[in-house]
Amino acid sequence: MSGGRRHLLGLGVLAALAGLAAALRILLDRSPEGTLSLALPQPAWAWVRWTALAVGATVGSGLATSGVLLQALLRNPLASPFILGISAGAGLGVMSAMYVGHVAGVTTGSNLGPALIGALAVLAVVYTLSQRGGWLDPVSLVLVGVIVSAICGAMIMFLQHLVPSGLHGEITRWMMGRIPESTPAATLIMAGGLSLAGVIVAMIMGRAMDAATLGDDEARSVGLALGRLRVWMFILAGALTAAAVALCGPIAFVGLIAPHAARLVLGPHHTLLVPAAALVGIVLVVGSDVTRQAIDLGGGRMPIGVFTALIGGPAFIWLLRSGKGQA
Amino acid sequence: MSLAVRDVSHWYRRVHALDGIRADAAPGRVTAVIGPNAAGKSTLLRCLIGALRPVHGEVLIDGEPAHRITTRRLAQRVAYVPQRPQVAAAFTVRAVVELGRYALPASRARVDAALAQLELTAIADRPFPALSVGQQQRATLARAVAQLSEDGHLVLDEPTSAMDLRHERECMGLLRRLAGAGATVVIAMHDLMLAADMADDCWLLDGGRLAAAGPAREVMDLQRLRAVFGVEFEWVDRPGRSPLLVAATNGTAPQALE
Repeated sequence: MSGGRRHLLGLGVLAALAGLAAALRILLDRSPEGTLSLALPQPAWAWVRWTALAVGATVGSGLATSGVLLQALLRNPLASPFILGISAGAGLGVMSAMYVGHVAGVTTGSNLGPALIGALAVLAVVYTLSQRGGWLDPVSLVLVGVIVSAICGAMIMFLQHLVPSGLHGEITRWMMGRIPESTPAATLIMAGGLSLAGVIVAMIMGRAMDAATLGDDEARSVGLALGRLRVWMFILAGALTAAAVALCGPIAFVGLIAPHAARLVLGPHHTLLVPAAALVGIVLVVGSDVTRQAIDLGGGRMPIGVFTALIGGPAFIWLLRSGKGQA
Repeated sequence: MSLAVRDVSHWYRRVHALDGIRADAAPGRVTAVIGPNAAGKSTLLRCLIGALRPVHGEVLIDGEPAHRITTRRLAQRVAYVPQRPQVAAAFTVRAVVELGRYALPASRARVDAALAQLELTAIADRPFPALSVGQQQRATLARAVAQLSEDGHLVLDEPTSAMDLRHERECMGLLRRLAGAGATVVIAMHDLMLAADMADDCWLLDGGRLAAAGPAREVMDLQRLRAVFGVEFEWVDRPGRSPLLVAATNGTAPQALE
């Protein structure tokens, strides 16, 4: 089979899996007795399910694209929005807004703004501290990211400590990653639009990201303006992560696993890898949401972060052990 | 059409890497950059390809300061081969060579020709990370060949350090042919015998300073080489061939490096 046909088939399979996950998210119904069935939702529930599907697709495609960008940017197959502290920065932004809202006695509304501010502020700090002789040093970037992430995590816990205990449950659920069943339409449209635009921009930059996998001097020698590319990819990855965190809280492993899984199917060329990873991200997040819908262990619906970690963790170890994880 | 280094000095945190280097590499000639470890060879090469802007002085590429040339236009004039190729993705050999055309119009013919010249056609579809380091060096050289224009500049940093003897000699032959066709070839080397055998000109660096520059045979003066490398050398005449540079082990008896 020729390369083009194989790629088309791979994309088709991933699109079919994403479609299947989406259909199950809309049609899967669980009765109060726990019986599962497939049926069109009642009009009262339809909006809830469509919203959950849109959130899952936005978060999955956004985190996966962010992971592809960061792995190419850092030439590091272990890079993800979490490693660089972007998720933690976005989380701190949201948590700070919650706390200020609580102190001022006002409703903060959309989390998107605070998440974006937090993510971009952390990006600015990490980017500035990672400069070496005028160039961005990928190793320093990862180390600084890990440290900033730890500091943001500590500040989130500190703010959680300050809010009244009545809010602790909501904050804990958000921090474990959950797909809300109601989201302000404006937030969803903005985040969804951002994710879609991010996937398209990343696809357009695919060949540049191919060249970015070379060493710094080699990448420049073939004509890639590496510094400028890194700044823009960095900002795009930050914005996509912020949108995901604003909607669902921090969800682990999607940004790490989806690019690797997509590479196994479509290969390393970024023009194809980006849409493939976005589809895998949708399958992971929406599929996890479907699984969460189907399982009731008596303690209410489980956070989606539990499922992505349970799927992503072992998959990541397998990738690491099998040596199939290449940036 | 030339590469010119004009009073270039550079230092990293007060450590002088380059100190007042002034030299020219002419088109149609192979210029070897030689010197002991930490002499400044790689730093000078990074200045030549525009990856590093020296603290003082400038590099002129075809008369234009390198730092004023856009990355894309620079790639259309200068191709580069590092000592240790890095490709952080499982691209095939062909895909790696195709990256040489990133800033240029795609050309399957140029890529095929480069693969053939480096004897890579048979393994063109193999993943680059699965190759031996010597094969990776050949693939990286093929990428530069696919990128290089006929009168362009090719800068290489120890490009054959992991190759077997046959491929090393064939690559050197290829570089000579590229220079013969009009390219400017600047190559950093540790193997002085090879440098003496294939270079037209030579830049000898020592502690960041240019100890000598000019025709290779003149630069490779035995007393100068002893002073810079701390090893005794001698030229051995070969009937019908150019003289062979040999070095003595531990400063005693001369021993051919061949």
